Amino acid sequence: MAAAATTGKKVAILKAEKLEKTYRVGKVDVPALRGVSLAVEAGEFVAVMGPSGCGKSTMLHLLGGLLTPTKGRIVIDGEDLTAATDAKRTDIRRRKIGFVFQRFNLFPTLTADGNLRLAERIHGGNGSGDPERRREVLRLLRLEDKMHHKPLELSGGEQQRVALARAVITQPALVLADEPTGNLDSESSAIVLNMFQELNRRFNQTIIMITHNPEAAAACGRIIQMRDGHIVAG
Amino acid sequence: MNVFDSLVTSNIRQRPLRSAISVVGVALGVALIMIFTGLARGMSNDLQRRSSNVRGEIIFTRKGSMSLVGSATNLSTKYVERLQQIEGVEAATPVIRHIYPSGGIGVDQIEGVEWNDFSRMNGIRIIDGRSPVANDEVVIDQTKAARKHPVGGTIKIFGDKLYKVVGIYAPESGARAKLTLASLQETLEAPGKCTYILIKTRPSADPVAVAKLIDQELPGNNVQFTRDVFASVESSIPSLGVFLRVLVALSAVVSALVVMLAMHTTITERTREIGILKAMGASRVYIVGEIEREAILISAMGLVVGFALALGAGFFIHKSTGLIFEYGWMWALTAGIIGLVGGAIGAFYPAMRAANLDPVNALAYE
Repeated sequence: MAAAATTGKKVAILKAEKLEKTYRVGKVDVPALRGVSLAVEAGEFVAVMGPSGCGKSTMLHLLGGLLTPTKGRIVIDGEDLTAATDAKRTDIRRRKIGFVFQRFNLFPTLTADGNLRLAERIHGGNGSGDPERRREVLRLLRLEDKMHHKPLELSGGEQQRVALARAVITQPALVLADEPTGNLDSESSAIVLNMFQELNRRFNQTIIMITHNPEAAAACGRIIQMRDGHIVAG
Repeated sequence: MNVFDSLVTSNIRQRPLRSAISVVGVALGVALIMIFTGLARGMSNDLQRRSSNVRGEIIFTRKGSMSLVGSATNLSTKYVERLQQIEGVEAATPVIRHIYPSGGIGVDQIEGVEWNDFSRMNGIRIIDGRSPVANDEVVIDQTKAARKHPVGGTIKIFGDKLYKVVGIYAPESGARAKLTLASLQETLEAPGKCTYILIKTRPSADPVAVAKLIDQELPGNNVQFTRDVFASVESSIPSLGVFLRVLVALSAVVSALVVMLAMHTTITERTREIGILKAMGASRVYIVGEIEREAILISAMGLVVGFALALGAGFFIHKSTGLIFEYGWMWALTAGIIGLVGGAIGAFYPAMRAANLDPVNALAYE
């Protein structure tokens, strides 16, 4: 678990300062983020809302080290992501960040168990992980009897729960979720959201979740509103 | 980790056709190396084995009348008497060596000999039946007899001419089938002629000195030592070694290309999955390692199939044509290394391409 979270202190696990991101499309510069500053404390569950094209996904990719900002600085759990090389950013992502995607993004050829073990292997090298943590996560997400199924044998809600388990099994400092209920029906959405909340409460897991769904946002402790590359509220 | 629940093995099982094509590609490269080198080695060793049983040390012939794939019957048998008078010569016997299209792959050879003199000189004995007397009689060695040619049966020589098998001789020596000298002279319309005269020197004489003496007494002819004439196939065909090395290199290229194409395709198919791996924090080394492990596993399967293919092909070709295959451990090791290294090298470019994919673009890949 992240250092800040284990101390129980309310310290920022994520700090983003004056983030700017401009894409070059042909000969035209297209600004996606125009100076976003953000601080998220350990154990917070934050929703990011805003219309399409406002820069939500770009911000999430920057925070996860999948993109580099044009300007600005990102510090995650004490490590400066923006000053890091590509290899170092990958390493920070491996140790400190878990992703949950709208389309689940499980490996279709692996069972649910195989997907979790792959995450453990990438995180720790041998794939054995922490058995206690694994048991607790699977129990919390009610996946104990689904582990030998492949993704196509699972419902959308179950697949997203496996994806969620994969994201948190390695005890990341931060979980970044990109519209995790966007492909689910309302019943499955409610279950998945409930599990995000459970993980946040039970493990003090810091979560930043992009959503278009006000009900999903309502499940979070804080809502950030974005528009035209700026944070306008929260 | 369950070996069947790893990315490497699950990907191979998930795309059986692609995996099978890759395996076959590597297998073909390995099989080609094994078959060609096995054939060259088998034929070379067979020729050496048979020539080692020829006890006459010197071959007397006309210049240029004998090569690996052809011979002329242009030497008068009258030389036999003159050779026998030369000091140091114990015995001399005429031989016709005739090479003709086998009807299958390549050529076959037959010898016409004066059986009693020839067998006495070379320590050859009839182990079943009797020696040939009439013009339509032939004796064969045990290898040829094993190919359903028992004593009392018939055998086709020169395409469709039937000869009676009257005896089986041992040990194998020179051509596998031997007629009487007169029979072959008649068939070739070369009365009084032979291809060469085989000379055995006296135990007390030095063969080199005897050869020198023959050359002085009968100038203008060719005096060679048997061991030089029946040299290995590899040394008889100077470019064979080069050919084999080129073949090995080509096989390596084929293996590498097949694996490269297969891995290139699979990387394109799995762009999104590579994006997921990158999002999960998999390093470049990890991604390259996963792809290389898959390529090496495919190559290893290709090796197994390739060796089996080579053994099977060797068996059936031998059964149908009589060509002899001898597989060597060194060539098998070479083929194995070529298959594995070729596969690993072939996968390296696609692996690097995958490792350098932009994670955001890869995740958005449809």
